[in-house]
Amino acid sequence: MKRWLIWVVLGMSLVSLSAQGEYGDVVLNRYADKAGVRPVVFPHWFHRLRFTCNVCHAEGGFKMRAGSNDITMGEIVDGKFCGMCHNGEIAWSAEFCHRCHSGRPGLAGGFYGSQDPSGPSGGGDFYQRRH
Amino acid sequence: MKNYKLIATLLLGLAVAPFAAAQQFEKQAYDKACGSCHNTGIGGAPKLGDPNDWRPLVAAGMARLYKSALEGTPKGMPAKGGVDGRNFTNSEIQAVVDYMVDKVNVALGATAGAPAGAAAGAAAQPLPPVQYNFNRLLKPMDKRNLPPSQDGIHDPANDGTLMLQPPLQGMADLVRSRFGNNTDWVASFLGKKVTPRWERDNPFAEGMVMDLDILRVPKAAVQDVLFPHKQHTEWLDCSNCHPAIFVPQKGANIISMPLILLGQKCGVCHGTVAFPVSECAKCHSQKKAAAAAPQKAAGKP
Repeated sequence: MKRWLIWVVLGMSLVSLSAQGEYGDVVLNRYADKAGVRPVVFPHWFHRLRFTCNVCHAEGGFKMRAGSNDITMGEIVDGKFCGMCHNGEIAWSAEFCHRCHSGRPGLAGGFYGSQDPSGPSGGGDFYQRRH
Repeated sequence: MKNYKLIATLLLGLAVAPFAAAQQFEKQAYDKACGSCHNTGIGGAPKLGDPNDWRPLVAAGMARLYKSALEGTPKGMPAKGGVDGRNFTNSEIQAVVDYMVDKVNVALGATAGAPAGAAAGAAAQPLPPVQYNFNRLLKPMDKRNLPPSQDGIHDPANDGTLMLQPPLQGMADLVRSRFGNNTDWVASFLGKKVTPRWERDNPFAEGMVMDLDILRVPKAAVQDVLFPHKQHTEWLDCSNCHPAIFVPQKGANIISMPLILLGQKCGVCHGTVAFPVSECAKCHSQKKAAAAAPQKAAGKP
């Protein structure tokens, strides 16, 4: 009876162990799985090479707390959030679904390879009040 | 009885350890220079551990394999694997070739010798390796900066995954460090190895850098903390931290390591994207005696 439970727990622990990610990688899966597409993997390091934190976290509307940014494809196409740059002018456009929607199906959202930021968020909140 | 088992386990561990360590270099070198093509078989590269890809190559002899690896082939194999492998010596490259052939020898032996499908299946799908991963901030060497197809969160079956830049390639020219992305972002910025744009639309815009150090004196018996605004305002806007995370007023902020470890205060970034808290001395950099000194101290970056 209890043996299958042990296997399930063991299996789950192996899955979580193998999900490493680069330091600062964020998985976004509020809507993706439900919509039948792969979750998004956002690599901080890749963006940091090209832009300061200021661009997304002060100019853009990204709050610095895991789970606090409610991002939909509609908003991205309207030029908000990722769509600020992923518009075919600064970075690849939203047509290239699989470059961002590249995560393993079923991954929970949050930071991988490092911890979740959980405090009050600067930047995004403040920006939205100011503008 | 118990002691006997313990000793046997220890002896086994001692016997296996040197072999594991010996393969460590080859594994790392492979991941750095070869894995991006040979893991997936892009462009016709023989896939690591795939007996069908390797059988004719192994049959043609090791000398030819070494030559192809060192000098490249017209089919698309760059000499020494290209940019990431050019710093390896010839003997190191040969060792990596041996490693790759070792990997496939197991599979070749299994498919040739095993009549039953079960054994072949077992060889094709080895058990996942045991990983030392209880602390996400201290990854073992061979688990750092993995390419997207191997990092465990990207789907290797997705063609977009193969389009993504591997971290080691993107951060190759930056100053390396032991923690986080294994990149010292502040030193890289200082040495202009990384030149991130300050504004989205204006490549010439520069941030308003504020050179003001703040000394914090923790109650605990640890060194004092010197917070440099300079290195922070090179990347961040004032509004990223003030006033939501830190009230811009002396004495108004209660900060503790537990809060930071939970992802609050400094921990909003440190431990998530900036260097992790395992680098104590980067923040706790001032001797206790410095408490008596004036606030503007000559801090190291």
